[in-house]
Amino acid sequence: MNTQRVWFAFFIVLALTMNFSFFVGDIDNPDHHHPYEFFFALVVSLIATVLKVGDRSHVGALLLATSLVADLQLIIGAVVWGMAVQSGEPISGAVMASVVSLAGGAMIANIISVVLLLAETLQIKR
Amino acid sequence: MGRYRARPKVRGAPMWIVLLELRTPLIVLILTYAVSCLGLVLIPGQTDTGEVYHLSFFDAFYVISYTATTIGYGELPYAFTGAQRMWMLVVIYSTVIAWLYALGAVLTVLTDPEFRKLRRYQKTVNRVKTHPVPFWVVCGYGSAGSQLVRFLDQSGTRCVAVESEKSRFDQARLSNLSYELDVFWADAMDPQVLVDAGVQHPRCQGVVVLTDSDQANLTVATNVKILAPRVPVFARSKSDANTRNLRSFDTEVIIDLDRVAARSVGQLIQRPKAYALYHELVDPDLNRIEAMPIPETGHWIVCGSNRLSELVCEVFVRDAIPFVWVSPNRPSSDDIEWVEGPGTEAVTLKQARIDEAAGVIAATDSDGDNLSILLTAKAEKSPLVTVARRNRPTSEPVFQHGGFSVVLREGRLLAQEMFARIQSPLLHQFLSQLELMPEALVDGLIDKLYRRLPEGDVELDHFVISLREADAPAVVSALESGQRVELGDLLRDPGEGHPPLALICLFLVRFNGDLVPFPGEHLDLGYGDQLLMWGAEGVDARIEWLLGRDDLFQSLLAHRSIS
Repeated sequence: MNTQRVWFAFFIVLALTMNFSFFVGDIDNPDHHHPYEFFFALVVSLIATVLKVGDRSHVGALLLATSLVADLQLIIGAVVWGMAVQSGEPISGAVMASVVSLAGGAMIANIISVVLLLAETLQIKR
Repeated sequence: MGRYRARPKVRGAPMWIVLLELRTPLIVLILTYAVSCLGLVLIPGQTDTGEVYHLSFFDAFYVISYTATTIGYGELPYAFTGAQRMWMLVVIYSTVIAWLYALGAVLTVLTDPEFRKLRRYQKTVNRVKTHPVPFWVVCGYGSAGSQLVRFLDQSGTRCVAVESEKSRFDQARLSNLSYELDVFWADAMDPQVLVDAGVQHPRCQGVVVLTDSDQANLTVATNVKILAPRVPVFARSKSDANTRNLRSFDTEVIIDLDRVAARSVGQLIQRPKAYALYHELVDPDLNRIEAMPIPETGHWIVCGSNRLSELVCEVFVRDAIPFVWVSPNRPSSDDIEWVEGPGTEAVTLKQARIDEAAGVIAATDSDGDNLSILLTAKAEKSPLVTVARRNRPTSEPVFQHGGFSVVLREGRLLAQEMFARIQSPLLHQFLSQLELMPEALVDGLIDKLYRRLPEGDVELDHFVISLREADAPAVVSALESGQRVELGDLLRDPGEGHPPLALICLFLVRFNGDLVPFPGEHLDLGYGDQLLMWGAEGVDARIEWLLGRDDLFQSLLAHRSIS
């Protein structure tokens, strides 16, 4: 067993699960979407991206691309959320909905990542 | 370093290597930031009025960002509590260290010599891939390689160079050419390097292999033959065994420098005019006939114990030139008059009867010895023909000022031979004919040109005319309309009165492949003939004008039939 592969798979799957934890709940209900979950989803996604850098195979390139998409979605979500908070008013349902839907987009990218990872792993002949 | 492999294992943009090296520093940076932000968000603070509050993620990220980069705006939005300050201490040290670590890693990669070499290499590969004009690949940028590249540049041909030595590579990058030379700092024996240098490129015209090692030359030649069979290979060889080896797989041109130099010495002694003509034609830097007076009587003294001196002796024996060999080693044949000794001392030269000698050939492998031999010889006898072998290009100044009759410069000879073959096959065919021509014929030919030359210091040049639509439309249309065109018609000025130009035709290759050296002026020309012309510099422009314009050429033909 390769330790590096374990960490690699761990972070890719964790990025998806974290993303999902934030995503579930009513889309416009701020009580269902905690900022800590969002924070962890973003950090794990960034780490997963860095881990994917350097693998220049076809699948590697695709993995990196999906990860960059997820990062982009989450960072836009963070900016939207941050700007809403700065106004000083409690977060509105509309803002929450757009942050969650952005995270939903990131989740699709993460799902593709995991599917690619599975496909690549299953290809390896024992 | 060492995590990435040097070219050619890693292909593609070197940026990927930077990213690979930065993986750990980036993860460390992300984790430090994440933990720091989280800490600030979790630890409760106090507003000015004493209420408990928590920093938002946005505020936390802001504080961490300016702290980590050591900018430090202070405690925002409210003065921190003791607990927050304790956490900030941890943050300050850990984030600053993480930054230094990441920056250090970036700088290490960027300043790594191997990485920079790789990046430069990759840039050159990309440039060669999109090379816009035909080019030659020159392997080995020593004195021969650099001169060949310069000669080719003068005749408008571009090159790509491969050199494994750093100092020569730097020299190649500083070369003063009319275009930017693409140079690879790599070993040409590596097949991938040859591919990168463009041997498989559709615009690659040929490969010239000029390295100092026979093994390397042979390896490059075989590799090119396999990688790009259509590309001609011009290789240097330093031994007969290697020459046979190169010939066995049809290497197009093989130049054995020692043999070229020995033949050239023989030619100088027996046929000085042919020697002068040969060198005027092959050396783009030499633009006049410099015939040397060679004494009719007297023997020659050959100093040296290397392959060159042996080959010179071989030529002398074959052509029955009297000579004495001064060498520490006994000659293989007893027929050779031999004096044992280094030749640098007056005693050995006296033993070789220097007072009766016509000339001395200093052909040892050491420049110091060669200079010493010739200076001693000149002190013993004057006048004397002195032939010096220059081994190292750095010794050039002393040989230039030494006042020797002939200096054999290896790099230059090699560059000349290669250039003559690359520049025009016609010239090369003529040169092999020249070997067989009697001296009187060559002398007459030089006289003929000099009678046509204007007064003063005129530089000479040669060029090729091919009687086809592209090069000579006026001649082709005259031939097609059934007019007779003589060679003499191409040697006249297109201007008023059609005076003869300072130009002669050295060699004619008929459309059917027949070779005519020194054709007469009344010879009829036909479509597809190729002519090697030789004359004053700048005449080719007049001729080009004449050959391109029907009216000028017709008036010239009319002028001939009147007179």
